[in-house]
Amino acid sequence: MKKVQSIRIENLTKSFGSGDSFVSVIDGASFTVNKGELIALVAPSGAGKTTLLMMIGCVVDPTSGQIWLGEEKVYDNHWLTNNSRQIRREKIGFIFQAHYLIPFLNVIENVTLVPQTNKIPTKEANAHAMELLKYFDIADKAYNKPSQLSGGQNQRVAIARALANNPEIILADEPTAALDTERSISVVKMLKKIAAEQNVAIIMVTHDERMLEYCDRVMKIEAKKIVFE
Amino acid sequence: MINLAQKDISHTLGKFIVTAMGVGMLLGIVLIMIGVYRGMMVDAEKLLKDISVDIWIVQEDTLGPFAESSRIHEDFKDTLKVIEGIDKSEALTFQNLQLYGLDKPVRVTAVGFNPFGSINPINSANLIAGRTLQKSHYEAVISTESGFKLQDKIKIGRNYFTVVGLTKGTVSSGGEPLIYISLKDAQELQFSFSNAIIRNDRERGINASGDIHTVNTVVATVKEGYDVAQIAKKLGMWKHVGVYTNEEQTTILTKNLVERSSKQIGLFTAILVVVSTIIIGLIIYTMTLEKMKEISIMKLIGIPDSIIVKMIVQETLILGFFAFIFGNIFSHLIYEKFPKRVVLEAPDALGLFVVIILASVLASFVGVGKVIHADPTVAIGG
Ligand SMILES: Nc1ncnc2c1ncn2[C@@H]1O[C@H](COP(=O)(O)OP(=O)(O)OP(=O)(O)O)[C@@H](O)[C@H]1O
Ligand SMILES: [Mg+2]
Repeated sequence: MKKVQSIRIENLTKSFGSGDSFVSVIDGASFTVNKGELIALVAPSGAGKTTLLMMIGCVVDPTSGQIWLGEEKVYDNHWLTNNSRQIRREKIGFIFQAHYLIPFLNVIENVTLVPQTNKIPTKEANAHAMELLKYFDIADKAYNKPSQLSGGQNQRVAIARALANNPEIILADEPTAALDTERSISVVKMLKKIAAEQNVAIIMVTHDERMLEYCDRVMKIEAKKIVFE
Repeated sequence: MINLAQKDISHTLGKFIVTAMGVGMLLGIVLIMIGVYRGMMVDAEKLLKDISVDIWIVQEDTLGPFAESSRIHEDFKDTLKVIEGIDKSEALTFQNLQLYGLDKPVRVTAVGFNPFGSINPINSANLIAGRTLQKSHYEAVISTESGFKLQDKIKIGRNYFTVVGLTKGTVSSGGEPLIYISLKDAQELQFSFSNAIIRNDRERGINASGDIHTVNTVVATVKEGYDVAQIAKKLGMWKHVGVYTNEEQTTILTKNLVERSSKQIGLFTAILVVVSTIIIGLIIYTMTLEKMKEISIMKLIGIPDSIIVKMIVQETLILGFFAFIFGNIFSHLIYEKFPKRVVLEAPDALGLFVVIILASVLASFVGVGKVIHADPTVAIGG
């Protein structure tokens, strides 16, 4: 399969604070992730994994460098877009360690919130959401609130939500940390399948060595730079 | 699009309803305050409306007989009768009394009139039991609000009066219950001195036994086809009396009240509305704080501020709306329990509704500010 660039980072740096409180987290990171790839991001706590993901997701401002999402250059020492949230809801799916579903919305409303914001008609959005929920084997919970679901079920809903806007990129920050090994493996397999089937680039932060065998490549943060194993 | 406000409210419906009821009570009190004011206005005109005459003759240079004290000679009523265009005329007295015999002393306003005269100040529509006065002495008709019952004997001055009739809702311009007695009894109470005083005065060489044929006002009705204002003007040219049309008399009673009470009640109402606004603002603020995590998540996954702000503003408006509904229910449940007249009027409620909606929008700003400044990364803990 031809490699198509999905995320491209050039010479990205990120530091926090100034003077005594100055910390440099990422310094001169460059890498490319292609469509259809599942990348594992492994690094010790505090190495800057979340920070990197949030910069790619246009949530945290880098200090300098360049970012491309797909063909579009979104950052060149400053944001090239004035609506980062539009980029997020149209191109990116987020998955976190906790499910972070909206407690006052039921499962299907949680899944369709972003598509509906993208002006997808309710009917269409619901149909797509139901498909995803069936895929993740939780369609019977579509009208339940997150509080009525188990942790694993909620995490699957969260993954369905991340997929609902047909993203080009999925950024998953320790999506399996709260799950047991069996569930973790099934989630990672699922992500692998999504990456392959839907041609999505996925970066998944994990601390779990056992998950690495399901990933296409393993990315590490070493000396504030990105290296691949 | 999913209505986030509605979803959030129905998620915590019980809490929301209790909150709305709390704010509603506050708004209910605002409505009662306005109702008290309206009640005062109604009371101010009630007696005039019941007496229902066209012209009031009072002591010259006074705003009598209610706003200022007034004394004129009783025989004006006969003089009046010969004036062209005058239909009926009668003399009336008004005085404050304190009645004993019940658990607590009752303050009333006594209306003295001639039971056999042509103008009866007792509006038969108000008479709920018994009859009007039929004797020239020692009978009384009294407002049922005073607490007295039919056949009760009330000691006034040196004599006992028998209650022969009860009226409902009849009050003086100040809102006190009325007692109707005969003109003669009233004159004796108001203008005569006790024998002891007369004897005493006589020994001191003073002749101040008082002219018992004095009244507080003479009222008259005008024949159909005659212009009240014109007749009043003509009468005004007489010496030593003041003349008011019923309209002018109404203005005298209400203008004073409006000036005094509208400021008082207006200030109370304004303070309560401000307090309500602050409370709604605080409630919305804490409701927003409770949702900070969800708001951060929404921002993170790309939901625009406009949608989140809409949720906050809608929630505030819904809260304001339900508080207003509860306020109306609350005020209608309790307004009759107030000792003085409370009049709840739809336009007042409507006005408050507009104010509360504006206040809600204002109050939502604190929550909206919180939303705008929320950091999306807070949700995931950095
Ligand atoms: N807003 C901030 N202000 C200052 N320093 C920050 C901020 N956010 C992150 N950092 C610092 O940046 C570094 C990287 O943080 P980050 O959350 O990206 O680490 P991580 O690799 O995701 O760690 P973990 O595995 O524990 O989640 C840490 O040293 C952290 O203290
Ligand atoms: Mg992290």
